[in-house]
Amino acid sequence: MDWFTEFLPRTPERLSIWIGVICTLAIYSLLYRENPFYRFFEHMYIGLAAGYSLGPLFVDIIYRYWIEPIWVQGYWAWAFVVPYGMYLYFIFSERYGWISRIVIGTLIGASAGLFFQEFSSRYLPQLNSTLKRPLWISSANPDITGWDVFVNFLFIAILISVLTYFTFSYEQRGVIKRTAILGRWFLMIGLGAIFGNTVMARMALLIGRIYYLLNDWLMIRIGGG
Amino acid sequence: MQPQTIWQRMLSIDRRLLYLLLFVNIVAFLVAPIRMTASISPPVQKFYDEIEKLKPGDLVMISSNWSASTLAENQPQLEAVLNHLMRKGVRFTFISIEAQSRDISYRLAERVTSAAGYKYGEQWAHFGFVPNLTVAIKGMVNDLPSTIKQDVRGTPIEKLPVLHGVKSLRDYQMVIDVTPSNTVPVWISYSPKELRILYCPTSVMAAEAYTYLDSGQIKGMITGAKGAQEYEQLLGIRGLGAPFANAISFSHVLIIIFILLGNFAMLMQRRYERREV
Repeated sequence: MDWFTEFLPRTPERLSIWIGVICTLAIYSLLYRENPFYRFFEHMYIGLAAGYSLGPLFVDIIYRYWIEPIWVQGYWAWAFVVPYGMYLYFIFSERYGWISRIVIGTLIGASAGLFFQEFSSRYLPQLNSTLKRPLWISSANPDITGWDVFVNFLFIAILISVLTYFTFSYEQRGVIKRTAILGRWFLMIGLGAIFGNTVMARMALLIGRIYYLLNDWLMIRIGGG
Repeated sequence: MQPQTIWQRMLSIDRRLLYLLLFVNIVAFLVAPIRMTASISPPVQKFYDEIEKLKPGDLVMISSNWSASTLAENQPQLEAVLNHLMRKGVRFTFISIEAQSRDISYRLAERVTSAAGYKYGEQWAHFGFVPNLTVAIKGMVNDLPSTIKQDVRGTPIEKLPVLHGVKSLRDYQMVIDVTPSNTVPVWISYSPKELRILYCPTSVMAAEAYTYLDSGQIKGMITGAKGAQEYEQLLGIRGLGAPFANAISFSHVLIIIFILLGNFAMLMQRRYERREV
């Protein structure tokens, strides 16, 4: 009886859970067949998501980084920032479209500048790590085992074959073609691993919802957390 | 009309029946008190070892960018990691580049920290929703207080005891990225080199991250609910990772059985048709 009393939507918190359950079941009703119940909740979800994002957009971005610095801290120069960004909308005007290119130019310049840093921090260490791999056991690499050497050779073989596959500057024939085919096989194995993980992730989405139905709605406690 | 063979009936089975079986299978393995022992994978062990190296009072940035859709993977990860950080007496702050994630991670952190007696403002804080991670990281590296300005409760950053003396992201020892999005390359690209980066991706994101793990750009990784289960095992706690990983594992078994049965039925039907001809 206690469970049933708690189960009913008698408090605001329980009511919100019941609404969440109705939304969940409505969305999953598509698995049975297409129905208006599903359509209604699908549109409601999209509308809610769009509406929800407006709140943080104003409070956490427009107010925090634009209105407050101008009105509270007196950084009046910030007043020009948002109008400058809005010049982008001149892209819809035939006559004044050139104004939008000023903003686009700024964005491209900033992105290009950032990419220099990104390349050096993101890709160079990977190149460095690849070039540093020992391919034989020597006194300079006392910790390296035969297995490590095998793995390093395999790594280099996969790297070269996959890079060969993506070399389109000339016709691939003979050894190059066979290496490229090997590269394609390695790529397929890699993509298979990604797809396997994707199935696991999709299953996790369903489990998340079922957890909500069991734990939050039906109050069947799961796990020790 | 010729009666259908058993193989034809198997091949034309209503897909809704398969959905129902999958649903029942997940419910059963979520509720069943099964405790399977997971073998600890090297990325999870490395993750654990990196946190073990932290000293009490060290400062960690948790980038939490997940929302309700990836709860089954990111929630057990975050809960397990928070438990470990609190066990080490480490200070931590949250940042979210996703609006929904701000509320979800804040509520989760409040629940987990209050159970452990961790005090908001003194031992942990939440910076709220910060748009554009690249700009935010570059800003925090240069001047953290003027980039973040205030926490999720509206308190100015300078007034939070947990951030006493903190001027830049360089004052942190570690970043932990709990995310279903491709945010870790941004942390790798723009955060200070001395900052150690740990990664908690969803399963779908994990395969791509092995290059960063291999090159040492990230120091450890917890992959989805399975990784969370391993981490809980390392910590000796009972969280959501184990039941979620059980449900995932057995739903995979069921899917594999469906695939095998479907292929077997197709082969048998072909053989039957050849014989009929």
